[in-house]
Amino acid sequence: MTLSPAEAATGADITISHVRKTFETPRGPIEALAGIDLDIAPGEFVSILGPSGCGKSTLLMALAGLEPATSGHIRISGAPVLSPRRKTGIVFQEPTLLSWKTALQNVLYPAEIAGQRKADHAPRARALLDRVGLAGFEDQRPRGLSGGMKQRVALCRALVQDPDLLLMDEPFSALDAITRDEMAELMLDLWSENSGRTAIFVTHSIHEAALLSDRVIVMRRRPCDVLADVPVPFGRPRRMDVVDTPEFTAFSSHLRGLIAEAMGKTEAQRHV
Amino acid sequence: MSDVMSEAGSDIADRPTAGAARSSRPKPESYLTNDRLLRVARPVLLPTLTAAVLLGIWWALASWADLPAVVLPHPADVWSILKSNFPLLSTHMWHTAYESTLGFLIAMVTGVSLAILITYSAVLREAFYPHLILFQLVPKVALAPLFVVWLGIGAPARLSFATFIAFFPLVIATAQGLTEVPPEMIRLSRSLSATRWQIFRTIRFPYAIPYIFAGMKISVTMAMIGIIVGEFIASQKGLGYLILFASSQANTALILAAVILLCVVGLVQFGIVLALERAVRRVFGSD
Repeated sequence: MTLSPAEAATGADITISHVRKTFETPRGPIEALAGIDLDIAPGEFVSILGPSGCGKSTLLMALAGLEPATSGHIRISGAPVLSPRRKTGIVFQEPTLLSWKTALQNVLYPAEIAGQRKADHAPRARALLDRVGLAGFEDQRPRGLSGGMKQRVALCRALVQDPDLLLMDEPFSALDAITRDEMAELMLDLWSENSGRTAIFVTHSIHEAALLSDRVIVMRRRPCDVLADVPVPFGRPRRMDVVDTPEFTAFSSHLRGLIAEAMGKTEAQRHV
Repeated sequence: MSDVMSEAGSDIADRPTAGAARSSRPKPESYLTNDRLLRVARPVLLPTLTAAVLLGIWWALASWADLPAVVLPHPADVWSILKSNFPLLSTHMWHTAYESTLGFLIAMVTGVSLAILITYSAVLREAFYPHLILFQLVPKVALAPLFVVWLGIGAPARLSFATFIAFFPLVIATAQGLTEVPPEMIRLSRSLSATRWQIFRTIRFPYAIPYIFAGMKISVTMAMIGIIVGEFIASQKGLGYLILFASSQANTALILAAVILLCVVGLVQFGIVLALERAVRRVFGSD
């Protein structure tokens, strides 16, 4: 299938250096990012894992160019990120579909905003919807789609401009457990060839981080920075049944230990 | 507001298999058809029945209760007055229909424009919005004589008064629709580097359409009220003037005939707004 992520000739490479973000509040400044340094290679699928309030979504919004960092630099493929870039696709926590548009029209929305002819992009949009199992639902309004279907439409919308970087902000957290598994399977299928576009996946699910990514960045609270940078020991193509292996269990347990540390729990508290 | 947004006859995406299982129910064909016919007809049948019963009560009271015709004329007399005076009545009716439609249209243009201005300008919003809300609470009909004092007896006073009372529901509903857009939708369009105009055209305005039409439905009846009140106090034409004239002659049947025509005009105006809403939604849906 030509629409596999591999078609992106080269993914973006990302350099994050000394990135800080402070929010001013009436009760004083809050530090949401306390100095982040990260390098992400082209084509890598990186999960950012951490407890809530660790700044992982803030980091993603800074990468998206929506919430600029207070200090430090973010470079994507060499260029500093000062505003949203066209070659970045974003999947938000909520599907955020426009309720008055059909699934197909929602997928074409980025082309509409870019002032491109919709007819030129319609075949690709249809093929993407087909790829995620929504053939026959092109003309449905969001009201007629289930939560998982809506998020798949949102994924197609993020991919329609053929981005070299895909940012995902807890994209499955609003879905039920069975649908989440379905989405994870779809992601594994889309990334079955380990090349192409770079992906950054923010999650608080150890299971999803271990299952989907090539590398897991664990963030902590107070201070909000990177606690650990762990390569994932499973290759691609990867299948769902990797979760049944002892290696997966061991790796998940390793991540769980890191999360506990990220939340500031002591060794003794962990075993209560 | 949310029920305004959901269109009638929602087409939920059933799994393709769901329909097949349903049709294999072993019920007699005629029973199913009757059942469905009743369910479709009921929303029309019941209100019609209620109206018929009320008309019957009127008819019975007028026929046998021995009330003077000034208090309660017979429905048949109202009908014959309507028929015999139709040229006169229709002249007045057109006058009222024309002025109330014009008042509504002016309120539409000014109301939606002001709503857009206060959505985009914080200064204007802070300056005007509290007053708009406050004016909602003022019984505006009480101000009608002021318009006559300022603008004299004539179309300007009537039109500006109708516009004045039709304007507020529209501004408030439109401003609400434009500002209550979910912030995620705005963030999505910002992530695509949309301009302010693009955000207005592709997000805010389509989102506000159901709100605007909800405001229009109130506003169109308000414009009619404004014109009638204007005709009561400052006119030689229109159904409002005719009603006042007929009451001075104790011609109750003529009053009721005029009221019937007012209802017809109101229903037609409301129907046009409804049809327009459908058309606009279809355009925004399919493109």
